[in-house]
Amino acid sequence: MTTNPPTARRVAVVVALLVVALAAAVVGGLVIGPTPISTWRVVGDLFSHLGLGHSTLTSLQSTIVWQLRAPRMVLGLLAGSMLAVAGGTYQGVFRNPLADPYLLGVAAGAGLGATFAIVQVGGGLSTPTWTPLLAFVGAIGAVTVTWLVGGRGHYSNAATLILAGVAVSALLTSVQTYLQQSSLGSMTRVYIWLLGSLASASWSSVELVAPYVVVCILVSVAAGRALDVMSVGEDESRSLGLPVRRVRLIVIVASSLGTAAIVSVAGLIGFVGIIVPHIVRLLVGTSYRRILPISVLFGAAFMVFADTIARTVLAPSELPLGVVTALVGAPVFVVILSLRRRASL
Amino acid sequence: MSSLQVRHLSVRAGAKRLVDDVSLEVEAGTWCTIIGPNGAGKTSLVEVIAGLRQPAAGEVLIDGEPIGKMSERERARTVALVPQHPIVPGGMSVFDYIALGRTAYHGLFRAESAQDRRIVEAVLERLTLGEFRDRDVATLSGGERQRMVLARALAQSTTVIVLDEPITGLDLRHQMDLLELLKKEVVECGLTLVATLHDLTLAGQFADRLVLLDGGRVVLDGPAGEVVRSEVLGATYGMNLRVVDVDGADVVVPVRR
Repeated sequence: MTTNPPTARRVAVVVALLVVALAAAVVGGLVIGPTPISTWRVVGDLFSHLGLGHSTLTSLQSTIVWQLRAPRMVLGLLAGSMLAVAGGTYQGVFRNPLADPYLLGVAAGAGLGATFAIVQVGGGLSTPTWTPLLAFVGAIGAVTVTWLVGGRGHYSNAATLILAGVAVSALLTSVQTYLQQSSLGSMTRVYIWLLGSLASASWSSVELVAPYVVVCILVSVAAGRALDVMSVGEDESRSLGLPVRRVRLIVIVASSLGTAAIVSVAGLIGFVGIIVPHIVRLLVGTSYRRILPISVLFGAAFMVFADTIARTVLAPSELPLGVVTALVGAPVFVVILSLRRRASL
Repeated sequence: MSSLQVRHLSVRAGAKRLVDDVSLEVEAGTWCTIIGPNGAGKTSLVEVIAGLRQPAAGEVLIDGEPIGKMSERERARTVALVPQHPIVPGGMSVFDYIALGRTAYHGLFRAESAQDRRIVEAVLERLTLGEFRDRDVATLSGGERQRMVLARALAQSTTVIVLDEPITGLDLRHQMDLLELLKKEVVECGLTLVATLHDLTLAGQFADRLVLLDGGRVVLDGPAGEVVRSEVLGATYGMNLRVVDVDGADVVVPVRR
């Protein structure tokens, strides 16, 4: 690379474009669906809630927009921003480009918890209460075990923690796979959960996770400064006066709690956590003070956009969200990567 | 003005003693260079002084304060380190890199203050790095890069700076430039400096005092002129060393037996 770090102007342009994309994704999330509702009516309704003008939506349309699409869209915003920012902080704190929010066992733990709920706790419709609860407990439990194994003591470093995460994940995934195989009847439901979906979103699920997620996002974004220091490695960071172990703990707690909350209601949505921070890095440079807040915007817009595709392309059935995020995200990433490479040659 | 005391310091790696009961005292505003063959324990000693490594026994005091009892932040305001192989985070600007030196002066989640920025600007100026201000750190040459790492250490506003092989990989001109720069900081600003160096001639010319380590122990400790002339020096390296006077400067030359 012979280029200098991106200028403030370039960053401003990226942010402006993302704000427009986010607004479009939000409106699209409310407007697009099997029941066609005009964009202007929905926008008019939005304004009427702010005390401007009158709504022209029928009560059925209003229910579809505000009770079905809106909570789903809001959950998408929360999920996208949380996963993206958690991936960004992990890539910084572990100085590892392959890090994603599931690195320390959140996914494997949640997967085991959810599978247990689906397979063991009664059939079909009684599981909605238990699945998120056990997924959350499994996720937090897994990260706690990883931390106890690899994160304590004076000699712990990023590598031991990552390896502990790999071991814990492998163990929990093998148990999860066994449970899944042993109950063929519920295999499809387990499978669908593993691929992630916002289909079960409701205002109550939004209310349940929003407090955790919002706080965790704010803490993660605030850690950007410390992560910039950590780009010179753990030893040098410590000699500069950064309490490295404390920073690592703060980042891990915030990421794990927020990700566990999201995963408990939306399943294992892949790809967003690893790829969004990389796309943002290619656009605005390597400073986490930029990457993290912009990843929040990008992740939110991207997730709502992907979910809109997931629920409309094969309507009335749905594509798994994890499939869409990878299907849309991978080409976008490849294009930006190759453009950047050409520009810097 | 600050003085550095190392008291009965030992560092172990498993059963091996890397540093064995080393005691030193460095007066404020002086330059002490640690010399010795590879594996003598120089880097381990320097890492303990900079607070990166826990000693097995003994302690390091700066102005009478044991650094082992300081928090990370307090220590980073007292002693700065220029590591042997600094990590250069590509994509960061030179200004932001030097500003990392101010980490210990603002909260974990806070940005640097106006005063922090003023200090960084002043260091940029002093080390003539102004023109590189907005450049990507990865694009600097070896000499510029080493000056930048030194700038970060100076931005820490400490009274003691520890340098581990600061001139490795630089050409002769840049070696001299960097050492002159350091000498200026010692003489004009009263900095206390501890460095490790392999080049005995340069070590002798710039340091006030030389400490020769071998097998983790202090073999010689004294004024630079005396240490380079000592027969112990050649014996420690297992070589035939001669000191030649060139225009009043001691030049240490190895001679084939």
